[in-house]
Amino acid sequence: MSPPRRIAFDALIACPACDRLHRRLELETGEEARCARCGACLQTRKPRTVDRSLAAALAALVLLALALGTPFLGLSRAGVESRISVLDAVGALWRGDFPVLGALVALGVVALPVARYALLVAVLAPLRFARARAGGPWARRAFRWALALEPWAMAEIFMVGVTVSLVKVGSLARLELGLAFWAFVALIGIGAYLSHALCRDTVWRALG
Amino acid sequence: MSADGDAGLSAREAGLAACRACGALHRMPGGGAPTLIRCARCGAAVRSRVPRSLQRTWAFLLVGLAAYVPAHLAPVMITASFSGNSADTIMSGVLELARLGNVGIAAIIFVASVVIPVTKFVVVALLASSLHRPGRLSRHARHRLHRVTELIGRWSMIDVFVIAVLTALIQLGTFITIGPGIGIVAFAASVVFTMLAAASLDPRLFWDRP
Repeated sequence: MSPPRRIAFDALIACPACDRLHRRLELETGEEARCARCGACLQTRKPRTVDRSLAAALAALVLLALALGTPFLGLSRAGVESRISVLDAVGALWRGDFPVLGALVALGVVALPVARYALLVAVLAPLRFARARAGGPWARRAFRWALALEPWAMAEIFMVGVTVSLVKVGSLARLELGLAFWAFVALIGIGAYLSHALCRDTVWRALG
Repeated sequence: MSADGDAGLSAREAGLAACRACGALHRMPGGGAPTLIRCARCGAAVRSRVPRSLQRTWAFLLVGLAAYVPAHLAPVMITASFSGNSADTIMSGVLELARLGNVGIAAIIFVASVVIPVTKFVVVALLASSLHRPGRLSRHARHRLHRVTELIGRWSMIDVFVIAVLTALIQLGTFITIGPGIGIVAFAASVVFTMLAAASLDPRLFWDRP
């Protein structure tokens, strides 16, 4: 059997939530098209989506490096001080015989967020700087994975967890927030900006 | 009916299927044995509807529910100090926080560990059973409920991260140590399986005409 032919993207669009077919519209910047049946968003046209999303993804990678590598919490009690980064925490959990917890943090807070933002940069940078070589099957696969990772990358949830821990042990020891904590806070803002700036439809069409 | 624009064709009715990952439309081969079709654009498997969507949803949901019981019965955190060991369950931790006056933090943990998971079990079960037998819920209501369940489930992981942070942080040797109890692993499994259950439920099924 011959492989199924992709039919003209530019003519029709199916609602991702209810499958109703629509004719694709030419939108003005800032407009969005919604499904006539269920109201889900079908198409957007966001201003300078590649520029803004790429900037946000790069900023997120820098912030992640800070958030993972520098201490997020320092603790002192009776003259003993300990400061801990996310990477230290993963190591401590692993060595301390709690491999499941270690793996959850390693995946949800380290590996998947890093992978997601790195894939976005790998997809968007060529679109911005080398249009002729952008796209191709690998870029399209990378973009699919970057989108699929979104619910499983849990850096912002970890941040809330750190805040709660802070209160829980506040009575046992003196605590101070480290640089990484603020990097996590900034990361939440950047993540929200990225979801706001990234127009999936535009990027898919640019990738071919 | 026509007021909500129900007059148009769905992609399936037109013999097409949209890739769930990138939206590219594909012509589906009619009849015959189902063959796996890869999206010509992004390489994801293209299916008109998630296959056995309901069976998968129920299966993941039941596993999530089964894991949620030990998550509450078994200790999630074990504190060892001079005064002996103490084991906390999720609820005893919440009550202790509230007793110490941290009502806000207690509320965050209670919402993340009890309200969100229980709501999610109920809503996903409601949506799945509405596909067996359409009930009073309108399709628009189901559509909105489905979107909400997909968004909130991951926030349940807060307590898992709290215990991970405390375990890693409190290594004050002789004074006190904190370690995770088996309950928190069950809880994390419950969250992951419930997320998979919500993701397995294909929202397009709500709108298919019988």
